Amino acid sequence: MLYFSELTNLHVVTTEGNTLGKLTDFYFLGADQPLITKVIITQSKDTRIIPITKIKTVNASIVVSTDYQTTTTPAENELSIKTHLLNQQIIDIRGNKVVRVNDVAIQQKPYYVVAGVDVGLMGIARWFHGEKIVNSILSKFGKSITSDFLSWDDIQPVELSSGKVVLKHEETKLTRLAPEDLADHLERLSVKNLSKVLDILPTEYETDVIENLNVSRQRALFRTIKPEQSADILSRIDADEAADILLSLSHKRRELILSLLSMETRAPIDYLMQLSKTDIGDLATNEFAKADPEESAGQVKARLKKTAEDYAHLTYVYVVNKKGVLVGVFNLQELIQANNDTPVYKFMTPNVVVISLTTPKEIALKKMIKYKIYALPVISEKRHILGIVALDDLLEKMENTIG
Amino acid sequence: MHLFQTIKHQIIYRWRRLLAIALIVGPGLVTAFADNDAAGISTYTAAAAEYGYTILLIIIPLSVLLGVTQEIGGRIAIIAEKGLGDLIRETYGIRTAVIMFALVFIVNMVVVIMDISGVKAALTLFGLQTNIFLPIILLLLFLVVVLMSYRAIERFFLFIIGFYIMFIISAFLAKPNWNLAVTSLLVPSGAISPAFLYTAIAVIGTTITAWGQFFISSYVKDKRLTTDHLKYNRWEVYLASVLTHMLIFFLMVAVIATLFTNRISVTDAAQAAQAITPFAGDLAGILFGIGLLAGGILGCVIVPLATAYAFSEFFGYSGSLDEDFQQSKPLYVIFLVQLIIGMGVVLLPQVSLFTITIVGNFINGVILPVIFYFLYQFANNERIMGTHKNNTVQNFLLVGAGVSITIASGIGLIGQILSL
Repeated sequence: MLYFSELTNLHVVTTEGNTLGKLTDFYFLGADQPLITKVIITQSKDTRIIPITKIKTVNASIVVSTDYQTTTTPAENELSIKTHLLNQQIIDIRGNKVVRVNDVAIQQKPYYVVAGVDVGLMGIARWFHGEKIVNSILSKFGKSITSDFLSWDDIQPVELSSGKVVLKHEETKLTRLAPEDLADHLERLSVKNLSKVLDILPTEYETDVIENLNVSRQRALFRTIKPEQSADILSRIDADEAADILLSLSHKRRELILSLLSMETRAPIDYLMQLSKTDIGDLATNEFAKADPEESAGQVKARLKKTAEDYAHLTYVYVVNKKGVLVGVFNLQELIQANNDTPVYKFMTPNVVVISLTTPKEIALKKMIKYKIYALPVISEKRHILGIVALDDLLEKMENTIG
Repeated sequence: MHLFQTIKHQIIYRWRRLLAIALIVGPGLVTAFADNDAAGISTYTAAAAEYGYTILLIIIPLSVLLGVTQEIGGRIAIIAEKGLGDLIRETYGIRTAVIMFALVFIVNMVVVIMDISGVKAALTLFGLQTNIFLPIILLLLFLVVVLMSYRAIERFFLFIIGFYIMFIISAFLAKPNWNLAVTSLLVPSGAISPAFLYTAIAVIGTTITAWGQFFISSYVKDKRLTTDHLKYNRWEVYLASVLTHMLIFFLMVAVIATLFTNRISVTDAAQAAQAITPFAGDLAGILFGIGLLAGGILGCVIVPLATAYAFSEFFGYSGSLDEDFQQSKPLYVIFLVQLIIGMGVVLLPQVSLFTITIVGNFINGVILPVIFYFLYQFANNERIMGTHKNNTVQNFLLVGAGVSITIASGIGLIGQILSL
């Protein structure tokens, strides 16, 4: 992940070594998928606008290929990070002030896209190159801060062009928490209170929270609430989650809820429940490499060099935060390309494809093929990593089954 | 009958107009009168005791300066529907915003300290135990700001401002030479020495302030004034500037007629309140003390509030006097932090208020020209102001004010350092 604060004012050079100027801004699409389309380069008073696809590498300077063509103005649906996003006031749907945009996070892979906005202290510190100082001061008090982040999903893209950064929901204390954190918090409540809290959450958010509850809480919840409501929730969450939850209920209740589901919703759940009798746990191994988000690439390289022989499969390194939650992943190529002093969170991919213990192996294989991944992490309800399943082990097992 | 109807309509029309004006009165009046906070009162007193009727010469130019700069600040806030902090952050980015906030925080902190020490001095004057009563008063002020709505707080401000009438009564009790006092407004009644200029600069510095600019824009915004109110707000600001300087006039006259005439020099208002008694009677001394207390209290609310408003604008947090503690937490926390630090400094005997004041004046000197630069930029920006951009006269006055205050604070600082 890159931050706008770190990219702005970087020198832009061509592959032939000609300096084009400094990066000053990006254009992006004000849409649900905020693709970055163009990069704005300024040299004294001249401005060049170059398609983002011409960027070859981003390091201490930005290298673009020589065959670029410049444009002069943004297209109709293009917005500028500097004028439409950065420093803008974020308001919730009722118009209440929430906070300002301190920095903009940009994801590079598989294509350049605005991942979200940083609204925390780190977002401010980064503009002063003060991340390390802030962190070292805080660590003396036994604290650490990571970015306080609003994901793009929380922002209404339509409002951006009118100069407003509007959230999709009302600003309340509960929704500021990540669904997984809220789930942690709600697990401590009685089931009755839990269902009351869930009732007041926005539907989409409610679904996320339920998915993040642990299995015993999910079971207790679905035992308590009306079957009609259960069916309604299950129809909104992923089929594999729904199957997991249903499998934890009594046979009678499960059948009752299933009978209330529409045929389209029911079919994939039925299929997955049937498959779940097989056990991914058999295949999982706990020989995998981990890293801390704040660790530097150099530290990880040195550590892996010593411990590489311990691993059966060393293709990916999983990034786990201090709470033990899986927050990202990177492969060895990305590690080697990274500068030694770059912290892990900058080059990791934050969206990790995962499976759980109840995921059928067919699904696991499909995910590997779809995302071209050689190993998948198996995670618990709290997103703690339990082990990994490697492609070759999985294929071997499935070959046996077929054989 | 017909004539009667017309008159009745006229009266109703006038009355409605007056009511409309009354509803929007506030920002200009409160900000201008808050310039007569305890810090201001002390400076005016010391200057008057030292230079007598001659010092009255600066009152008219000062009231023009204050009126013009505050009008521009208020107008920008009404048109842009944004405070000064909002505009600085959105136009000049995060780095400028952080630095400006740090400077505003320090400058305001010094003013808060001076105001709290003004309250402390007034309490001592009335023979009250400061270790007990000062924390109680500050706590009450905090509760007033947290628990009351915007309108109630504004009434509280206007109520406190009412106490300033004490200075007018004091002036009459002091039996000054009114003829000389009035002519001194236009004709210098004494020599204009470099030392006089230096004192005049100190007076300007406590009247035209950085916090005043942040406060009026946020306060206008919090009051939700719109372009319909533009004209009223303009006249309110001008009128308030005249009124507040009339008050400074009476305050100075009271001091001149007693202390200057009898060659007694004082360094702050509390000493003045004591020294005035033998010449103008117990009542005059008490009234002067009450005026000082009112000034301290007004400053202790408005200056930290200006800091808190600036914070919520620079960093985008919710900040309105109409919201409760939970909703506008950053606003109230900053407010409280400044009061607590201020109280700590004032109650600790080993801290030198003198050094703190010099540092504060220095940063004020640095920040004011920068703020005038921002005002100039915003007030002349067509994208922000549309048809309400500054006209030539306003720009001339603003630039003139900026340049003279910059030079003044530079000279003032050198003077202060040399006098150390």
